Amino acid sequence: MSDQLTQATSPQAIKDGFDQLGYVADQELATILFLSLNLRKPLLLEGNPGVGKTEVANILSNWLQLPLIRLQCYEGLDVSTAVYEWNYQKQLISIKIQEHSDKSEEEKTRFIFSEEFLLERPLLQAIRAKDVPPVLLIDEIDRADEEFEAFLLELLSAFQISIPELGTVKAVHKPLVILTSNRTRELGDALKRRCLYYWIPYPDREKEMQIVQKHMPGLEPQLIEQLVSFVQEVRQQEVDKVPGVAETLDWAQGLLALGFKNLSPESIETTLGCLLKSSDDIASFKGEVLSTLLEKIR
Amino acid sequence: MEPPIRYQSQEGLIDALVGFANMARVKGLNVGVEECLVGLAAAQLGTIKEKSSFRYALKAIFCCSPEDGELFDEIFDEYWGMEKVGFTSRMTYFNQSNMQRDPKGSVVMMGQGQTEEAERENKEITGANAVERLVKTDFSQVAQVDHAYLEALAWKLWKQMSLRLKRRQKRSIRKGRLDLRQTIRKSLASGGLPLQLQFKDRIQQKQRLVILLDVSGSMDKYSFFLLRFICALKAHFSQIEAFLFSTKLIRISEMLEPKLLDRTLVQLSKEANNWSSGTRIGDCFKEFNRSYAKRVLNGRSTVLILSDGLETGDPGELAKETSKIRLRTRQLIWLNPLKGMAGYEPIARGMKAAMPSIDVFRSAHNLQSILELENLLIHV
Repeated sequence: MSDQLTQATSPQAIKDGFDQLGYVADQELATILFLSLNLRKPLLLEGNPGVGKTEVANILSNWLQLPLIRLQCYEGLDVSTAVYEWNYQKQLISIKIQEHSDKSEEEKTRFIFSEEFLLERPLLQAIRAKDVPPVLLIDEIDRADEEFEAFLLELLSAFQISIPELGTVKAVHKPLVILTSNRTRELGDALKRRCLYYWIPYPDREKEMQIVQKHMPGLEPQLIEQLVSFVQEVRQQEVDKVPGVAETLDWAQGLLALGFKNLSPESIETTLGCLLKSSDDIASFKGEVLSTLLEKIR
Repeated sequence: MEPPIRYQSQEGLIDALVGFANMARVKGLNVGVEECLVGLAAAQLGTIKEKSSFRYALKAIFCCSPEDGELFDEIFDEYWGMEKVGFTSRMTYFNQSNMQRDPKGSVVMMGQGQTEEAERENKEITGANAVERLVKTDFSQVAQVDHAYLEALAWKLWKQMSLRLKRRQKRSIRKGRLDLRQTIRKSLASGGLPLQLQFKDRIQQKQRLVILLDVSGSMDKYSFFLLRFICALKAHFSQIEAFLFSTKLIRISEMLEPKLLDRTLVQLSKEANNWSSGTRIGDCFKEFNRSYAKRVLNGRSTVLILSDGLETGDPGELAKETSKIRLRTRQLIWLNPLKGMAGYEPIARGMKAAMPSIDVFRSAHNLQSILELENLLIHV
């Protein structure tokens, strides 16, 4: 185990470390992170958008002072963008330059397929990291195709990648892998079983207040209480896009910037765009609905 | 904070853990040997010192979804959390039973496991049967109690189907072939070295699905579900045109957003009451041909007609207009819920008249028959 990881001696240490960096982790998440770090098992985080899945990886890399390598998944993601690619242009030019050299054919070929011409993409970077194990964040894995998921399965169990021209590259330091998913589709069982699983729920009122407090110490406690209660209520309503913690923070920022000290119908209506991201939702929180909600949280 | 847990020997812990894993498996969690081993490693890392952290650890290892999580909590409480026998003594209990090979102890546990297994099996069979039964039930025969359940099930299955269709469509649009002409032309700048490769992109063909849904009185029971089916398709097919008809034709392509669906249905049901006097399919198709066909139909579009073909107007007119639609499209699919009835023959006047123009004639009376459409729609 590297020096960096000795920090993660107990779930409590992780919880405190995250706390200092402004991330409120509960005991459960801290325990699971502790296991993930110590057993070197990938961690799969699922949850609705905006509950802080990606942030876990950011904070982890920050806290352990390890480099973060991020792979953003999307439909159609393939090996050449995720793992490696040969630098075709450079190879061509090199062939041209070597045209009149005395090297044998074989040497020339070996040269243009050497590491110098290899373009490392995130997964290969993570495997080849030399000094310390990196934090590898595979973001929104549910967006990638199933073929890619299958490929990942292989990578996550053996931590090696084979490149036909170069041979197999084995990880010197097993990266700390964090996968996130919005659960737009169900991931394969095989992949899930390779990972520790944690569903990040929306935070409860107390936790969310802590989070806002952490991020915006300048905000009046009374306003924090009001706005968090309001958000908690909104989540209970039928809305198109349920606001996550990220939206709560945006909103708090907006209220702070405009100097509001209290939640009132006016202050809400001018800033609601920070919280609700669909025009239908915003329209549905006008007038009477708004005043009843405000009544409720008082 | 819950009290720390002590166990007297490694074997005791292993026994307890294996017992727990078995129980979890019986209850429906996907737990194997691998999970057990990881669980043991987690315990050895010290998570076992507290019940809560041990719970979190095992939960992360044993569960694969938030639903699993809920089930897990129940099982965990049941197994470790027995009120009178505390967590610690439970461990010791397992320990003893292990050391003395106490048959009684294991019988208790096994017995418990088995009854639960049997129970669950029963439940599962009825559960699976219920799904199976609903999938095959004619929409018009669905009991009021099953209605909501069927609706939810249908929505889920159709969404999956729609997503699969979309994926298949997307996947075929890959980076095209190498464009040699362009590559050579661009290579002039680098003295003949083809540095910038050019690709030919496959031209994305915009295919369109046009749906005509019969909402007349005779289709009443079916149209409710079929309309939801159209909505599910709409969510993933970008090019979809939908129309309703009974005595007149209405275009509903814009009203198909899933969240507007309830509103749409209310609005439509109000109007539908005035319509149910009879179905004039021929007239409606004529209207379709006159006002919309030129815009929404082309050589690549597929037309899906959902109707029982019970025409109260002139069958000759229906035959003429159906063949007109056929001429403008690639494929005409007619789904008739009545076809699900045993011994049904398309001899109703309207249906008989339309038959010659139809490429595919299928039933659409239950969930299964609609799910089978997937094979047809792939090629849309």
